[in-house]
Amino acid sequence: MQETLQTLVGGLSLGAVYALVAMGFSLVYRTMGLVNFAHADIAMIGAYAASTFYLTSKLPFAVAMVVAIAVTAAIGLVIERVLRPLENKDFDLMLIGTIGFGIVLQAVAILIWGTTGRAVRSPVPSAPLDLFGIRVRTYDLLVMAVAALAVLGLAWFLARTKRGAAMQAVAMDHEAATAVGIDVGRSNALAFSIGAGLAALAGGLVGPMLYVDASLGGALGIKGFAAAMLGGFGSIPGAVVGGLAIGVLDSYAAGHFQGYSVLVTFLVFTAAIMIRPTGVFGERTVSRA
Amino acid sequence: MTRSSTPRPPTTTRAAVCAAAVLAAALTACGAPGESADNTGASSGPIKVAVVNAQSGQLSSLGDWEYKGARLAVDEWNKKGGIDGRTVQLKLFDDQGDPTTGTNIARRLVSEKYVAMIGTAESAVTIAMGPVLQQAKIPNITSGQSDGLVALKSPYLFLNGPTSTTYDTTLAQHLVTDKGYRKIAMITNNGSFGKGEHDAFLTSVKGLGVTPATDQVVTTDQKEFSAALTKIRSTKPEVIFIGSEEVEAGLIVKQARDLGITAPFAGAAPQGTPVFIDTAGKEAAEGTIVSSPYLSNDVSDASKKFAAAYLAAYGEEAEMHGAKAYDGANILLSALETSKGAVGEELADAIRATRYQGLLGDFRFDGTGVGITRTTIGVIRDGKLVPQQ
Repeated sequence: MQETLQTLVGGLSLGAVYALVAMGFSLVYRTMGLVNFAHADIAMIGAYAASTFYLTSKLPFAVAMVVAIAVTAAIGLVIERVLRPLENKDFDLMLIGTIGFGIVLQAVAILIWGTTGRAVRSPVPSAPLDLFGIRVRTYDLLVMAVAALAVLGLAWFLARTKRGAAMQAVAMDHEAATAVGIDVGRSNALAFSIGAGLAALAGGLVGPMLYVDASLGGALGIKGFAAAMLGGFGSIPGAVVGGLAIGVLDSYAAGHFQGYSVLVTFLVFTAAIMIRPTGVFGERTVSRA
Repeated sequence: MTRSSTPRPPTTTRAAVCAAAVLAAALTACGAPGESADNTGASSGPIKVAVVNAQSGQLSSLGDWEYKGARLAVDEWNKKGGIDGRTVQLKLFDDQGDPTTGTNIARRLVSEKYVAMIGTAESAVTIAMGPVLQQAKIPNITSGQSDGLVALKSPYLFLNGPTSTTYDTTLAQHLVTDKGYRKIAMITNNGSFGKGEHDAFLTSVKGLGVTPATDQVVTTDQKEFSAALTKIRSTKPEVIFIGSEEVEAGLIVKQARDLGITAPFAGAAPQGTPVFIDTAGKEAAEGTIVSSPYLSNDVSDASKKFAAAYLAAYGEEAEMHGAKAYDGANILLSALETSKGAVGEELADAIRATRYQGLLGDFRFDGTGVGITRTTIGVIRDGKLVPQQ
C-alpha cells in the first residue's frame, strides 16, 4: 500500500510537468491546427534560461522563471512570424519548419551553454514532508501548485477574456473571424507565445527535478506529446488528464516492469489510443489545412 | 530545342567527351589529396589518429574529458618532436553517444586511413564500431569498461582501464569482507554499461556468499525512481550498489535521499565524477563508496604532474576520464615509437607488448586487450573523491 501511494506521488509530480508540456502543444494546435514540433526544445531553452538566471545571475527562482518565460515567449513570436507566410498555404512546410526550429534551438543551446549540462539545486530547501510514511517533496508540491494555477489561468483566459474568445473564434473558422475584424495573425502569434511561455514554465520547473542539458527536450517532448494525444489533442482539460495519466503510468510501469517500463508505457498508450483515437476529451479535431 | 530540331552528332559527341574528361579530372582531383598523401604505412607525413567520443548529449561531459586527456598526451609528444620526426595529427569525431553514428564514423576512419583510434568512453558505441575497425586492422584504445568489450575478442581492441568485473570484484570484496555488509540492495540500468555492472557485481557478491536484498533495474532514460527506491527502502539495506552513468546515478541518489533513504551508495567510475556529485547534490553524495583506479590528483608524482599540466592547458581540475585517455594515448604513442610508426597488425602487436606505468596503474595487456586488473576504494567526502582511510 505504502509503495503504491509513494509511486503515485512520484508519478504525479512529473505528470504535472508533462501536463504543462501537453498544454502548450494543445494550445497551438487548438488555435492553428498545427503541431509545434519545436515545443519540446523551447522547453529545453526555457530550462536553460531559468537555470542561468537562477544560478549564474543569482535571481530568485520565481523571477528567473518569469524572465525565462519572457525569453521563450519572444522565441515563440519569432517562430510564428517566420511561419506566417505559409499559413493557409503550405501546411506540411509549416510542420517541417517547426521541426527545423527544434534542431536550430538545440544547436543554439550547445553554442551558448556548451555540451555538459548542469544540475539545478532546489529553490525550496526544506526537507520532504512525511505523511504516514509517504514522503512528499515540498518542491513537488510547488510544481503541482504552479501547474494547477497555470491550467486555471489559461482556462480563464480562453473562456473569459475578449482575446481568448477571439482566439477560439479563429480556431473554429478563421475566415469568419477575419470577416468580423479579428486579426488572425495576431491571434496566432499570441497562441504561439503563450505556448512557448508554458514550455518555459514546464522546463524551468523540471530543472531542479532532473538535469538540464540540450537533450532535455527529447525527454519532455515525447511524454508531453503522448499526454496531449491521450487527453485529446487540442483540449486543455485533456492535456492535464493526459499528463498526469502518463506520469503515473510511467511510474507504475517502472515499478512492475523495471527495465521494460518504457515499452509497457507506450504499449498501454497505444492500446488506449486504439480504443479511443480522439483521446479522453477528444473533440472533432481542428483541421485548417 | 524547338528552333533546331536537326540533331548534330559531332557537337554532342564532342560535348560528351569534354564532359567525361572534366568529370574524370574532377574525380581524380577529389581523390588525390586524401589518398596519395596518406597511404597506409606511409613513412612520412603526419600520423593520423582519431578521437571518437560524444561531444553532445547526456554523455558529452565524458567525451569532453576524454578528448582533453588524449589531446594533452599528443601535444606533449609533438612538443618533444613527435614520432620518428613525424607529428601526430589528432582529429575529433562526435559520435553523440550513439552506436549508429559510431559505425558511420568507423567507416570514415577506414576510408580516410586513420592509423589508430582513441575512444569511445561508451562501451555500446565501441562494441558497435569494433567489427569495422577489426576488419580494417585499426587498433582502438577504448575507455569503455563493459565486459562485452572483451567478449568481442577483437585483437585490435584495447582497454585503457579496468573492466566492470575488476571494478566490482574489488567493490564487492570491500563491502562484504572489509565492511561486513550483508544487506545489499542493487539498482542498475538496462543499458550496456548498467547491464555489465549488474552482472559483474551480482556475480562478485554471490561468490562471497551474499544474495542482494533487492535487485532493481531501471531504463537508461528514466527520470523518476520512486517505485524502485520505495522497494529498496522497504528492505532497509546497509548499502546500495548503483550501476548507471553519471547523471542518472545522480538523480537516483538525490531522489533516494528525498525518500528518506540514508544508506550509503556504492559504485564504480561514474560515481567518482563531479557531474555525479553535482547532480546528486553535495550532501546527498556524501559517503558514496567508489571503486576506481584513479582516486585523486595527488596520489603520486605522476598524477600531480598530469593534473598540473591539465589545469594549465584547460583551466580545469583533472579527473579520472581525462587520466584514462591520457594513459591510453601515451600507450598508443609509445607503441608507435617502438614500432617506428607501424600500422595494422604490427601496431596492434606493439601495443600488446607495451609495458606502461600509467596514472591508472601498471599496464600489462593480456590476450583479451585488458591492461589493468586492479582498482582502489575511495569515498566521497565534502564533494571530493578521497582515498579510503
